[in-house]
Amino acid sequence: MDKEHKGVDSLLLSDLVEVWETNSLTLRTIEHLTMFSIAIVLASIIGVSLGLFLFSRPRIAHPMLNLLNLVETIPDIPLLVLLLPIFGLGRDPTIVASVLYSLLPITRNTYTGLKEVDLKYVDIARAMGLSEKDILLKVRIPLSLPMIVGGLRIALVFTMGVVTLGGLIAAGGLGAALIAGIQLYKINTILVAGLWTGLLAVIFDGLAGIVEKRLQRRYGIW
Amino acid sequence: MPSKRLFDRIDSIQLRGVTKKYDDRFAINDVSIDIEGGELVIFIGPSGSGKTTTLRMINRLIEPDSGTILINDQDIMELEPVALRRNIGYVIQNIGLFPHMNIAENIGLVAKLESWDEKKIKDRVEYLLDFVSLPSEMFMDRYPHQLSGGQQQRVGLARALMMDPPLLLMDEPFGALDPILRKQLQEEFYQIREKLGKTIIFVTHDIEEAFKLGDRIAIMDDAKLVQIGTAEELIFHPANEMVASIVDTSKKFKHLDTLKIKDLISPLECMYVHDGSLDVESAISSMIEKNIEIAVVSNGSGPLGIVKLIDLLRMDDKESKIIDHVVEIPSFSRNELLSSSLKIMQKDGHSMAFVMTDGKLSGFLFPNDAFSQVIG
Repeated sequence: MDKEHKGVDSLLLSDLVEVWETNSLTLRTIEHLTMFSIAIVLASIIGVSLGLFLFSRPRIAHPMLNLLNLVETIPDIPLLVLLLPIFGLGRDPTIVASVLYSLLPITRNTYTGLKEVDLKYVDIARAMGLSEKDILLKVRIPLSLPMIVGGLRIALVFTMGVVTLGGLIAAGGLGAALIAGIQLYKINTILVAGLWTGLLAVIFDGLAGIVEKRLQRRYGIW
Repeated sequence: MPSKRLFDRIDSIQLRGVTKKYDDRFAINDVSIDIEGGELVIFIGPSGSGKTTTLRMINRLIEPDSGTILINDQDIMELEPVALRRNIGYVIQNIGLFPHMNIAENIGLVAKLESWDEKKIKDRVEYLLDFVSLPSEMFMDRYPHQLSGGQQQRVGLARALMMDPPLLLMDEPFGALDPILRKQLQEEFYQIREKLGKTIIFVTHDIEEAFKLGDRIAIMDDAKLVQIGTAEELIFHPANEMVASIVDTSKKFKHLDTLKIKDLISPLECMYVHDGSLDVESAISSMIEKNIEIAVVSNGSGPLGIVKLIDLLRMDDKESKIIDHVVEIPSFSRNELLSSSLKIMQKDGHSMAFVMTDGKLSGFLFPNDAFSQVIG
């Protein structure tokens, strides 16, 4: 019994190593995380700036957010296909699609966070003699950080999904290994690549969740 | 960027025919008022009467549709609003300490924007925390949510004093506190007011607070200033029925001889009672958690006296028992005459007393200056 158990264990482990090596999953993971990081950094920079911009121009906020909502409703595979004529195959359309999907949660949460800051803080800040710029920098932005990170967290999950789909259009990454497994019908490859991608998504979401909680606690919003 | 100091002292504040309308409704209708430097003027009236609007016009949070506001004969509409506000302290009921900044950062915020150097900011913050009876080394690094309501309100006052403004605007600063805490803070504020030597404009809806703290009281109703005068003037020469009804509680004073303690009792809640064997450390955390500033020390059979949170915080020996730090206060039966008990308390300089019902503690008695005046 004990021996047999050990046998199963070592069998699984050796399978895992074999699948990992034949599909060069280390390389795939690096490709995957590179695309993922580029997409998240771009989406954060663009999304937060756009949120700030919309906050300063409330009149165009609604149409703009509706537009982003529209982008959000395009299913992911068609979106990738739509981007192919413009960006070709590979990494670029994958990153662009990830950024497009991530813009809505980040922009919307930044805009809403800035707008929904409890007015009593804005009022007292103004009464103390803070200029509008200082109110934005010292009060509104810090107080909306938990909300912004909340949006970023949603974007992380979206991006992980889109980057994986990038495998379909020769972007590399873990999606490529997954698709190879599907096409060759190798259950082990599908399982290992799928679970590993899922695990990565859970880890990033968990980390972002911890940051979000910390911020909420730090900013007294329980 | 440093802004100019607009005035070192207030000689006068004048409102001339100030009017503000929202749609068709007057928020303030042709209000004129003269305030002298160093005065504490209280605005009182029903909600919606325009008292807060008037206050918020003085630092240009709200701008008048017509009329002028002059500080030291200078039209405030000609002053830069940010600079004006940095010369005027502002304290409000919901305090509004910034949750993402610790206490020192909250108090020092404007000084930092004015590019004071770190050392100067730190010294001033320490001085102010001690001034409002919060030991600075304990509180500087805490966050607002770690403080009780009373402590937050003290920090709110310290923050308003940071730039040493000659004028303070206070909008129901004690309004959100429970009655016992409110009376204690009023008492303290009354005492530090002399040291402050500032011109203060104060909004409240509590006529007792107005009588206790104000040099003059301005009564507002329906966007208009109805009457302004000292407590005596309002009580004895009310301009109309409305003023008479607002100062109505003062009628109690005229019949003080017949009042009994039970008429003015502040009921006791059991959270105030702490056992004498508790050590100082645990008493502090219990009081902070319950958001109370005074605790009744009991030995199981009855109350021995009180301890104050600010005194406990200052104690070096946090291991000692609170029973060793008890301050004794008088106790009276609820059916005793108020006037005689107040005389006893005034003679011995007590600011509070226990009220006993059938030998058991049932509440507190806080005499205030209004009463003392009548008795004297």
